[in-house]
Amino acid sequence: MIEALNEFEKRTADEKIARRREVRVLILTGLGLNCEAETAAAFRLVGARPEQVHLLDLLDGADGPRLSDYRVLAFIGGFAFGDHLGAGFVFANKIRHRLYDQLLEFIEAGGLALGICNGFQTMVRLGLLPGLDGDYRTPRAALAPNDRLGYRDAWVRLAFDEASPCVWTRGLRQLELPARHGEGKFLAESDELLERLERAGQVVARYVDGTGAPTETWPHNPNGSPRGVAGVCDPSGRLFGLMPHPDAYLYPFHHPRWERAQANGDLPAEGAGLRIFRNGVDYAAALNAP
Amino acid sequence: MVGGRIGADGIHGATFSSAPLDEAAPVQAVQIGDPITQKRMFDFLLEVREAGLYTAITDNGAGGLSSSVGEMAEGSGGARLDLTNAPLKYPGLAPWEILVSEAQERMTLAVPPENLEPLLELARRREVEATDLGQFTDDGYFEVLHDGRTVALLSMEFLHEGDPDLELTATWEPPSFEEPADRAVDIEAALPAMLARLNLCSGETKARHYDHEVKGLSVIKPFIGVGQDIPADATVSLARHGSLRGFVLSEGINPFLSDLDTRAMAMTVVDEALRRQLCAGARLDRIAMLDNFCWPDPVRSAETPDGEYKMAQLVRACRGLRDAVIAYGTPLVSGKDSMKNDSTRGGVKISVPPTLLVSAIGQIDDVRRSRTLEPKAGGDLVYLIGKTADELGGSEFYRYLGESDGRTAAANEPQPYVGTGPPGVDPGRLLPLYRAFERASDAGLLRSAATPSLGGWGPLFARCVMASGLGLDLDLGEAAGRAELDLQRFLFSESNGRFLVTVRERDRERFEAVFDGLPVLRVGTVDAEPRLQLTTDERTYRWDADALRRSFKETLADD
Repeated sequence: MIEALNEFEKRTADEKIARRREVRVLILTGLGLNCEAETAAAFRLVGARPEQVHLLDLLDGADGPRLSDYRVLAFIGGFAFGDHLGAGFVFANKIRHRLYDQLLEFIEAGGLALGICNGFQTMVRLGLLPGLDGDYRTPRAALAPNDRLGYRDAWVRLAFDEASPCVWTRGLRQLELPARHGEGKFLAESDELLERLERAGQVVARYVDGTGAPTETWPHNPNGSPRGVAGVCDPSGRLFGLMPHPDAYLYPFHHPRWERAQANGDLPAEGAGLRIFRNGVDYAAALNAP
Repeated sequence: MVGGRIGADGIHGATFSSAPLDEAAPVQAVQIGDPITQKRMFDFLLEVREAGLYTAITDNGAGGLSSSVGEMAEGSGGARLDLTNAPLKYPGLAPWEILVSEAQERMTLAVPPENLEPLLELARRREVEATDLGQFTDDGYFEVLHDGRTVALLSMEFLHEGDPDLELTATWEPPSFEEPADRAVDIEAALPAMLARLNLCSGETKARHYDHEVKGLSVIKPFIGVGQDIPADATVSLARHGSLRGFVLSEGINPFLSDLDTRAMAMTVVDEALRRQLCAGARLDRIAMLDNFCWPDPVRSAETPDGEYKMAQLVRACRGLRDAVIAYGTPLVSGKDSMKNDSTRGGVKISVPPTLLVSAIGQIDDVRRSRTLEPKAGGDLVYLIGKTADELGGSEFYRYLGESDGRTAAANEPQPYVGTGPPGVDPGRLLPLYRAFERASDAGLLRSAATPSLGGWGPLFARCVMASGLGLDLDLGEAAGRAELDLQRFLFSESNGRFLVTVRERDRERFEAVFDGLPVLRVGTVDAEPRLQLTTDERTYRWDADALRRSFKETLADD
């Protein structure tokens, strides 16, 4: 795979643009999800072709869109079905009972998936993450209520496992993003499982403190997640979910300190959250190479 | 009708929103909200709006269908509303209850007949309930049917014009309060104590329970600064992805001034909302406002013997509001009022102070030119714009003085030490200043801009220091001297029409030229050290930023 990516990197700018434009991204919407605008903007900004599709239209089958038409699937943030039975629960069940075969085929065929916040909760509920031993059906972890204060919107700092197979986070070391959730504490079904995930590089992102060290302490870690787990991928690295919102850092002026950075002359050219989307889209574009 | 179902909840909601609620009030008086039903309905409405399937839309708020359909029927000249198929939460509702229920999450749409089936089909696909409840007509009548029977038949003229206007008496007698004895406080202690007061302290831990970034459009967030813990004067958002145009949101509120004069209160809150707009970078000619009244019962009765005075307060507030928005050219595009916020408990009647919240929305052509109150770099110059007058009537400082003296207010009485003379607003005098401010802003001369509100300059200086992690080193001798005030009155006066801005040393001449002939004074510089330092002819006061922050945040700390 690295070869394909290296090949892609060597292509001319025009070729890259053309290939990225062929990457169709399915953004599932509706039923209380609310981050469709920024997720679509993110994929558009990195050159892909995002399409917003209401989950009920996808479940409808018949003449509607099919998962196999897409290379990337995005589970977005929001509060699907009000999260009344637990975050992501009803949304995950709708998919489990009416879309699972399509979804497994999509994964089998090398599709990519990104889950953000409520989307990450849904992927964990489905068992797509951590997706061990080729089993994408059995939930092995949960995103539990935050240790304190319930829902909270505040920016946090993440550090990434650079040895992770995750294709969405290649080259990323640290990133600041807003955490906006009430249920984000990642609990694996056992300590052994968490250790296994760590060894395999599946613990992709962790909350870190001011020194850059992973932390379980509020407010750097907003939910008390053990060992600071903020994001997890499957063993292939193509399926990735995280609690904080890369879709909320698309422009340099999304960052809470942008104005001071601009005054100091060190405002970046783009929002750092875009790198996650670009990584995923470039990977999909490289895979598609003739 | 689209959205939720009709239930007994919210019957008489409109009546009860203007009446005291106690244990004897019917449980239905309060509506029961359901955010997920509302969100699904909104998503559906956006889709049908884009498809152009309806021609008019009204929320089912106060009065439910009677009001939404009754209002929309003015467009066509009548309506025939059939309640037979109205979706109910449970059986047993009488037709009148269905008609007036204020059950939440419902909108009424006017749909051309040829669009009805596509709209209902999309509703089925989205699992959103939509029901055909009749037709708009032009026969001059509002007719309601149930099970084939006419249950109401009212002429449109009677429905909309039949209610005679009330004639109520208002009597204005300016209240009189005593000015508290002039005594010098320990300013060193007073400033942190002011920051810790409930009206001024940090509300960050509460505010962060709300998502202020959804849709990915937020540019200046509600909390700013090195610790992202200082309230912004205004927030700025993109209008949509793919454009740099944005909008500025700000507010003004100050019910304390109503003890003295609601006219000054209303003009003050308009001025405050407007100043916050300008600080963030909004264009002066592209600002609109909303008025939200929260008022005590202003109708004289046995329970409200002072109704004529309260009515006069309402009249003066409305006139002040009108005068201010007309002078500033900031139209009131919407608003809301709640007029009977009184409660009798244990034989004591408690009324809210006459309260007007003014919210402003302004436009900014490029969000990258928006700004906060945070000073940007050591060495920048600090200017105070506008005149500080001896205007401490109804001020936070007087309330602090009163409490320091152990004075407490009885229920329903004004806080101790109201004083005299609320802050004035003279738009004719202020507008040239605001236009100059806008010119300086357009020319890129303002590195930061802030405007004082409750508490005046003192708390504002502290917020600038806490936000920046830098310091302010200010010599206030001349400024206080020009205002003919001692330092404590200068620091805590709540005069309107003022700003603090920081400017690069190299822009000094250009900046001062823009404000030539206007009340602007350079008072010091931004300090590299995180501290506030105020010097007068007599002495120097110094506060460390961390100590200020502790006072600011301890009151509503989250533990």
